Amino acid sequence: MTTSALTNTLRIPTDDLDIQVQEGRLGKLVMARLKPNEDLTESVEALCRQHGMAAAIVRGAIGSLIDARLAYASTDGWREMHISGPGVEILNVFGELGCGQAHQTLQGVVADSDGKIFAGRFVRGGNLCFITIEITLQEWLPATQ
Amino acid sequence: MNISYKSGTGTPGFVEVRKFLHAGQQSYPRLLDLTAEPAEELRITLRSGVLVGPALRTVLLRYGQRGGVARLCGGSARRLHYHRIEHTLDDQRPYDYGPPHVLAGSITFVTGAITLGQNQHGDILLHCHAGFLDGDGTIHGGHVLLDTVEVGDDPLIIRLCLFSQGAFVVNSDEETRFSLLHPTPMES
Repeated sequence: MTTSALTNTLRIPTDDLDIQVQEGRLGKLVMARLKPNEDLTESVEALCRQHGMAAAIVRGAIGSLIDARLAYASTDGWREMHISGPGVEILNVFGELGCGQAHQTLQGVVADSDGKIFAGRFVRGGNLCFITIEITLQEWLPATQ
Repeated sequence: MNISYKSGTGTPGFVEVRKFLHAGQQSYPRLLDLTAEPAEELRITLRSGVLVGPALRTVLLRYGQRGGVARLCGGSARRLHYHRIEHTLDDQRPYDYGPPHVLAGSITFVTGAITLGQNQHGDILLHCHAGFLDGDGTIHGGHVLLDTVEVGDDPLIIRLCLFSQGAFVVNSDEETRFSLLHPTPMES
């Protein structure tokens, strides 16, 4: 039996819906600074591993990127935007890690050096820190049965 | 601005990236981190006409020296100053914030986050990045000086998470030549 099978996930069947509700609580915080040339998504994954967090959410993240690479789903598959810097500002980051997902996904909003705004999913390995990124994660602890 | 589009998979894989070598000496580790405990969750409402920076400092002084993070959940401003990163002629800091871009009138926030830090003397520092629409509907974003932000007709709502046992404290960074916030153990 896997760990996830032990957690208290409720399935709420209705006529046409299949809703999953996971009960739990928020635990410890991990605050961090990324130095230049470190990737946003890979660093968040490393923080989770180093602090033994099977699941976590992003509570806050701001900083700057050399360039930004953001993905979005289109009618003909996934497409990527490349926003050139250096000095693409991270305005916000949202997302969770673990929680049974095959791939970690972080999404957010950035601004280029003209102040123009873009949003999308941060491509793993494609968003390197320029000067600094301040990030705070919080552990998600599913309730056990 | 130089934007290019290409087909992607949306899944992990090799991607082409550029690296940047700053003027100063690199130091290790490249990821500085610290465990802290959650202390307080606050929902702050700032009313029309209030200056955001001083108002937030007034609130935070009640909770002592703590680190924290916040998100702008909605609201408007009458004026604000924000900065964008620009190329400079300084070899030591070839990229830096340029002069402020000043907005006035009707400004609607669409996204924003704040790192709550402090200097070596315990003075509160507010590092904010946000995106907003001006009165013409143009969307802007960048590094916002909260001391210049005057709340508009709609109240500004800020959700704030305060830590105990850790804070973001400013220190000079040899590699980038900037003063930056670093996770720092702190009794609180």
